[in-house]
Amino acid sequence: MDDATIALVGLSHHTAPIELRERVYVDATSVRDTVREVMASTAIHECVVLSTCNRTEFYLHAADPASAEAVAIDAFAARTDMGPGEVEAFLYHLHGHDAVLHLFRVAGGLDSLVIGEAEILGQVGDAYEMGLSLPDSVGPVLHRLFQSAQAVGGAVRSETSLGRGAASIPSAAVRLAAKVFGSLEGKSAMVVGAGEMGITTLRCLLSEGISDVLVANRTLDRARETVAQIGGRAISLEDVWGTISDVDILVTSTSAAEPVVTHDGLESSRGQTGSPLVVLDIALPRDVEPGVGGLPGVFLYNIDDLQKVVGATEEARRAEAAPAETLVADHATRFWRWYRSREVGPLIRGLRAHGEAIRLAELERLLVGLDGLSESDRERIEAATRRLLNKLLHPSTVALRQAAADPNAIGFLDRLGAELRLAAGSGQSQEATEDEIEGSGPADGSADAESEETNEARG
Amino acid sequence: MILGLHLLAFVLYATAWVLQLQGFRGGREPGISGVRVVGGGLAVHAAGLLLYALSYRSLPLVGLGPASSSLALFISLFVLAASVRTDLRAAGLFLLPLVLLLLGEAVVVGIEPTGRQIAFRGPWFVLHVSAIFIGFAGLAAASAASIMYVFQFRALKRKTFGSVFGFFPALDSLDRLNKVGLAVGFPALSVGLLAGWSWTLTFGRGLALDNPGTILGIVTWAAYLVAIAARSRPGPRGERAAVISVVAFLVTLVAFLALRITAGEAGFFL
Repeated sequence: MDDATIALVGLSHHTAPIELRERVYVDATSVRDTVREVMASTAIHECVVLSTCNRTEFYLHAADPASAEAVAIDAFAARTDMGPGEVEAFLYHLHGHDAVLHLFRVAGGLDSLVIGEAEILGQVGDAYEMGLSLPDSVGPVLHRLFQSAQAVGGAVRSETSLGRGAASIPSAAVRLAAKVFGSLEGKSAMVVGAGEMGITTLRCLLSEGISDVLVANRTLDRARETVAQIGGRAISLEDVWGTISDVDILVTSTSAAEPVVTHDGLESSRGQTGSPLVVLDIALPRDVEPGVGGLPGVFLYNIDDLQKVVGATEEARRAEAAPAETLVADHATRFWRWYRSREVGPLIRGLRAHGEAIRLAELERLLVGLDGLSESDRERIEAATRRLLNKLLHPSTVALRQAAADPNAIGFLDRLGAELRLAAGSGQSQEATEDEIEGSGPADGSADAESEETNEARG
Repeated sequence: MILGLHLLAFVLYATAWVLQLQGFRGGREPGISGVRVVGGGLAVHAAGLLLYALSYRSLPLVGLGPASSSLALFISLFVLAASVRTDLRAAGLFLLPLVLLLLGEAVVVGIEPTGRQIAFRGPWFVLHVSAIFIGFAGLAAASAASIMYVFQFRALKRKTFGSVFGFFPALDSLDRLNKVGLAVGFPALSVGLLAGWSWTLTFGRGLALDNPGTILGIVTWAAYLVAIAARSRPGPRGERAAVISVVAFLVTLVAFLALRITAGEAGFFL
């Protein structure tokens, strides 16, 4: 049996600090060289690199997993100032079914920092696409593995509730706004304070269809820089009160020590405005007076409230993780069965070749003493031996395919493969077969009976 | 067979409601499975009423059993129509119990014609009863939306991000459902009342203000007017309009029950 298997060497947020993850990160410009470097080893048939801010992993289809792992460890070490021994402390190595299961869990978002996040599925797809664009990087095994991983990731999201809800502060902000307005298409938003979190939240809102954006900042130039990147209109802080009654969503993220949005200021600006206003105060210290939440039609949320939404989502997702794990495990088992059955092909061919060699040798020995046979009789004998061989080998072939998916049978399959190679190499098929038949065959003729049963079973 | 189809519809509606309850407990937005079950229930229910019409050569509009079943059908039609919009599937949580109550009543009292069939027929009568049923169903849908609006509004204001927050639709969606319920139901009820009046004229009678049916129709019409007026006031209208809509529906419900209990034989038509 071939020793080739699927191997994985990687590190992630579970095993390595961000400083190390940053250093080993393989971006689109360097992935070609990295893959070429790894595939220079004859032990590696195929290679895909999955690299995100939370993980860098080498998926390998390798003839010799131990050598392949050593190559991957060297590739990691080369990106740091550590030796292979040092960097190995942050790495995990997985083989065979475990490596498949890991990739499927990754694609399903089950191994993510935020369980169920959807971005990783796209990143798995990107890694595969990148592999396809490199010569000889992706062969039949990793091709099927990554296609299956993407299908599993999609199934996790469509068949379980794992991906539902808001799992980050910006997505929680979007969810809260959506619970007031329904669709955010065509709504307007204003961000006061062009800080990173405020802009990230605004980007999230834009992705949901917000059409009108205002960016207010203490320095107008900074506001202009921001709108140059994401669109919208820049205004100064002084203009906020004049425009606030026209917006549906207000995001505040200044670094001001005192509240920027006051109860009285907002009350007089909104007047008798009937439409709701969602105020998302993501600044610390807070930018909005708590009393603002008591104004009619105003829904005020601060960073703690947004955290509560995220917390509720995480709790719900943890509850949904069990069915998702089951689904992923089923798919991994199915893939592994395919992989092993594919690998057992040469073994089955070897077994049949061995049987055929015995059949021909026995036939030749038989026909030597039967010179008077007609051509048609010879053909009938030949056909009978062929049928006999097929019927004898059929249950073995089925059993081998089933055993291929059973991890406990790997030792047996390896021994069988070695025996067949030995028999084929020594040219002693005939003698060995005689020994086997006389030494271990059933004395009561049950082999014939079994053959008959098989015949019946096959109709 | 008619009873069997009604029982099957009852089971399907009940299943849909259980699915809604499960979603509510988990704080998850309702899935498509509940909508499919409601659709199945509606199909079976409609088949039951069609069979009634074919068997008795009369529309199921007279008699407590057939009329309750028809009203239940109109309300479940509203449930299914609302469910076309993914974010309004939760409407069934409040409307399906009403459907079950009406259908259960129909099954218990029997889905058979009364001896008064001959008098209650003709296009005016059919228009009168059908339009009034649509009016009642519209008010029920508007009220269900309003109840959810009040709960969701309070969850959002009080920042309690539990089952109500997760399961109930957005305030804007609920406000639209309330609006549609009123916009469909009020004209229908008005047409129904006018048709009823016209129908009594064919007997040479005027508007019988002491008739329990007339009283209920007028109370419901007034409840609609109050709910519509609450929506048209300036300023943030959402919660106030929702509360008034709920109160209007409750007043109608109480009036119906009071008339049923006190009207005796005269209230057979309710």
